[in-house]
Amino acid sequence: MAEETMTLRVTRYRPERGPDSYLDEFDVPYREDMVVLDALNHIKDDIDGSLTYRWSCRMGVCGSCGMMVNGMPRLTCSTYLREFHPEPVVIEPLESFPVIRDLVVDMTDFLEKLREVKPWVIREREDAVEEGEYLQTPEEVDRYKQFSMCINCMLCYSACPVYAQDPEFLGPAAIALASRYNLDSRDQGRSERDEVLGVDTGIWDCTFVGECSVVCPKDVDPAAAIQRTKVSTTTRGMLAAVWPHRGRR
Amino acid sequence: MATPGPAVTRPSEHTPISAAGRRRYPFLVKRPSRTWWLRTRAYRRFAAREATSLFAAAFSLILLTFLFALSRGPQAYDGFLRWLQRPGTVILLAVILVAILYHVATWFRLTSQILVIRIGRLVVPRKIVVGGLVAVWLLLSGLVLYLYALFL
Repeated sequence: MAEETMTLRVTRYRPERGPDSYLDEFDVPYREDMVVLDALNHIKDDIDGSLTYRWSCRMGVCGSCGMMVNGMPRLTCSTYLREFHPEPVVIEPLESFPVIRDLVVDMTDFLEKLREVKPWVIREREDAVEEGEYLQTPEEVDRYKQFSMCINCMLCYSACPVYAQDPEFLGPAAIALASRYNLDSRDQGRSERDEVLGVDTGIWDCTFVGECSVVCPKDVDPAAAIQRTKVSTTTRGMLAAVWPHRGRR
Repeated sequence: MATPGPAVTRPSEHTPISAAGRRRYPFLVKRPSRTWWLRTRAYRRFAAREATSLFAAAFSLILLTFLFALSRGPQAYDGFLRWLQRPGTVILLAVILVAILYHVATWFRLTSQILVIRIGRLVVPRKIVVGGLVAVWLLLSGLVLYLYALFL
């Protein structure tokens, strides 16, 4: 019996060949349990070793293999070919990021934004070690746990039309990460994070398209994190105006 | 050899992790299209949600015109009432009603994504939050109808 195959149309960008990207077509053997990343690995191993892309864990944890699959940002290790079979699949690099080569994008902008929200527990005064741990109840963990599940795969940035139009926008994952620390009962750094959150390029750039939460492979729901930050920032601002001693925390 | 495109990173107060603003390698930047909001179904729904807000604005303009006519005396008020009864106006108001109902429905759904009501460790399910919003809305609409009937 003839082996079943499937066609992959892969975007290539090879700066030494020319300034524009182009499409390459590959036929790969098809099995029902194959994911898109398996097909890319087949191309690299057996057809064209020059194909360049990122991947690592193959189990939806490392967040390296995000690409546009038929126009949607997906983790290629968790996207089965059977979803598209027998139609061809189009693979492109993650949208809204500068492409370095083939399917590899430059993550620098994203990494700098992550650092700008100060993603660590900030204390006004560090307690001495003898005073013991900062204890937390399960209820207090519940408040931020969802936002701590982010794997930095950047799918949310690719799904965000605001980031596409305005690269200054802090973006979904960075704001979700800021929320993760703002909602942590051990943290006291909210006013420091407000400097990048509570400005035009922070939460107020977001128009709540909501696609970041739809494409998130870890159900982090960054869209909810951003809108809730809008609500709490506004509430705190108004409280501070009418009741200066209570408003700031 | 390709010519490098414009840098897309913003200046940072920190030391850059790499030479972000001064990339020494060529790279490709795709410009976002002007018709991005037509591309996927989700984007089209977002555009519809935002566009229907214009109908809410239109209705507030009609309300303002009503108040303005009222302040200018009986003649202007009668003129406004006549305008309200024209078939074109009735059609316009029907279109506005449908658009606003759609707009409200989208925001009820979105509110349930934002609003977290916790009872102990339990989070109230989104469907119940939407149900609550609809219930309050029906209650207020009923109240308005009741007041209308009372003063008519």
